[in-house]
Amino acid sequence: MRKVITLGVLTLLCTVLVAGAQAGKQASVVKLKFATYVWQPTTVAANKAIVESWNKSHPGIQVEIVPVDVNSVHDKLLTSFVGGTAADVIHDEAADIAGFTQQGYLANLTPLIPKTLKRTIPNSLWQTTNFGGKITGVPALLQTYNIFANMDILKSAGIKAPTLADPWTWPEFRANAKRLTTSGRFGVCWGLRSPTAVTQTMSLNYGGQFFYLENGKWTFKFGPNDQNVVRQMHDMIHVDKSVDPAATGLSGSAVLPAFFGGKCAMTVAGNFAAQSMILQSPKGFNWAMFPLLKGRTQEQVANPQTYSISQQSTNKQAAMFFISYLVNRQNLAKLALGDWLIPANPEAGKLARKSTKRTGSWKIATESVVHFRKGNWVSLAAYPRWKAEVAQPNFVQYLRGSISLEDLGKNLEDGWKRINGR
Amino acid sequence: MIVTTRPRRTKTVQYAVLLGYLVFLGFPLLWMLSMSFKGPRELVQLYPSFIPEDFTFENYRTALTEDDHQLVRNGINSLKVAAVTALLTTMIGLPAAYVLARRKGLITRLGLGWILLSQMFPLILIIIPLFLLLRDLKLTNSHIGLVVVYVVWALPFILWMLMSYIRGIPHDLEEAATVDGASRFQILVGIIAPLLVPGIVVTTLFAFISAWNEFFFALVILENPDLTTLPLRLAQYVGIEGVVRFGPLAAAALLATAPSLILFTIIQRWLARGLLSGAVKG
Repeated sequence: MRKVITLGVLTLLCTVLVAGAQAGKQASVVKLKFATYVWQPTTVAANKAIVESWNKSHPGIQVEIVPVDVNSVHDKLLTSFVGGTAADVIHDEAADIAGFTQQGYLANLTPLIPKTLKRTIPNSLWQTTNFGGKITGVPALLQTYNIFANMDILKSAGIKAPTLADPWTWPEFRANAKRLTTSGRFGVCWGLRSPTAVTQTMSLNYGGQFFYLENGKWTFKFGPNDQNVVRQMHDMIHVDKSVDPAATGLSGSAVLPAFFGGKCAMTVAGNFAAQSMILQSPKGFNWAMFPLLKGRTQEQVANPQTYSISQQSTNKQAAMFFISYLVNRQNLAKLALGDWLIPANPEAGKLARKSTKRTGSWKIATESVVHFRKGNWVSLAAYPRWKAEVAQPNFVQYLRGSISLEDLGKNLEDGWKRINGR
Repeated sequence: MIVTTRPRRTKTVQYAVLLGYLVFLGFPLLWMLSMSFKGPRELVQLYPSFIPEDFTFENYRTALTEDDHQLVRNGINSLKVAAVTALLTTMIGLPAAYVLARRKGLITRLGLGWILLSQMFPLILIIIPLFLLLRDLKLTNSHIGLVVVYVVWALPFILWMLMSYIRGIPHDLEEAATVDGASRFQILVGIIAPLLVPGIVVTTLFAFISAWNEFFFALVILENPDLTTLPLRLAQYVGIEGVVRFGPLAAAALLATAPSLILFTIIQRWLARGLLSGAVKG
């Protein structure tokens, strides 16, 4: 009887000890939530693989993916921030995190960012997520706006493709678009349904920033530098008549059928459209992505995808370790290849180039990193609202020819005063 | 002669108009069906054909198998949430609508006013307070929380619909039952409910479809991909700057439409009766 009791007590003791050890082990595991809006199947798979490999190699910090709808990122993040249920690691973009930073929802990463990570990304890109000395996002992937051309049409017209060393200037682009316009074909099909991003990004070719700091306040200005690109776009549609006016009401991807069908010789789109060219163009379609257009410079505004840490997170250091892993050379190259976006780390760009057959377009895309500059509007908290309520409708009206350039400038300025003055 | 020709001509015109209307209504669905069988290259042809040139089931395979059959899991979630919402809304709405329709007084008037008022708040205004409330009740990221929201959201409209049906039932029937000694509950279950079947079917269907199609609440409340509903899954085929995966989207959207279509087909007889019943006043 005594033996049975002793055995029972020993078994109980062992069970308690094992359970205690298990509980202790579980309690020491840091659990991180990672909210991400990756949506292309290739990137979703790459993202999942990266998280799985992290979880395998870091048993003490386990990451769980929380998918976010790509078209509702702001709403989803806002409710989770206000509700106190935000994920630890947040995938967003520079222009959107400005507001969240101002509202205090994002952690200051400046003291957390490892020196090695800091070195791998150009300073011009860190500037896009630096809000008054506080960095609240790690820049990851970017896009440029490029010309895509039907090379057969260009060759038959005797027009040579631009090169990285000798890119087209805006006047050359306009002249060639005009030359390529015939009775049954337009020089360019340009999807300008939402023209603000492309207009403002490319306006930096002439130094157009639209927003300038005056007496400590961000002021909207519409001077010659800011007007240049949008005026040329307008003139291509209405003066040169080299841009298909019907296509201007469509999105960038919606004009692809016309481009593939030979109804226009060129289109302007985000560099990621290269993926659609490969997957959807007719067999034998001879296309090329051209280097960035040149005004005074080839600069374009950088609005990178970012990885931030929620201020509510209780595991900020662990979250930073994970972000560093996520954007290391190999992983960033995998994510870039999935979305056809440009990695913020030029070394990751080189790796991406090596891993693909379409080296031409990847070379042009990754060589563009040096032309990225901070756009003042990227860090303005009121910018997303101004863009949605004021800029989009007014740019559309101007490009349709419904309002003059003066009216456009006045409306944009009044709208900014109304929204920012609140 | 003239007497017989005119109605025939009128009928021909009526049928032609009806046919045109049917084509107008059905065309998007047929086009979606056509797209769901096309390959990526055919989907961006300048002159698309209605009959797919290279017929493929690839879009259906992608939609159904991608992310470990996520679409199927999300479909089951939608079915569960929509069915429970429809059931609960009707169970709560029926007795409430009966009381509001039959009792006259200050409280009823105030109640009706409040219900009407609650419908006037835009979604965007209530979403954050609602989210905070659900968080405190530990109902975020759960189907129970979503069902509670859907029931509350659908209830005012359901109440108004059911009230109009109940008001269409003559009061005399209830008085006769009262004289025969029936209680309020017996009257509701034995007299009113059978006469209200068409109305109940219509309102249940309305609640089901509202929950089946709803996107924004599900987006905000649900987090775990295994809990998300079909509209959230469908949204994942639409990417940045108008880039859309048309083929899998068409296939998935068609599969998502199927349950509603089947449900409509089965109960359309009740639906027609219910609509007529609701239209009659007094």
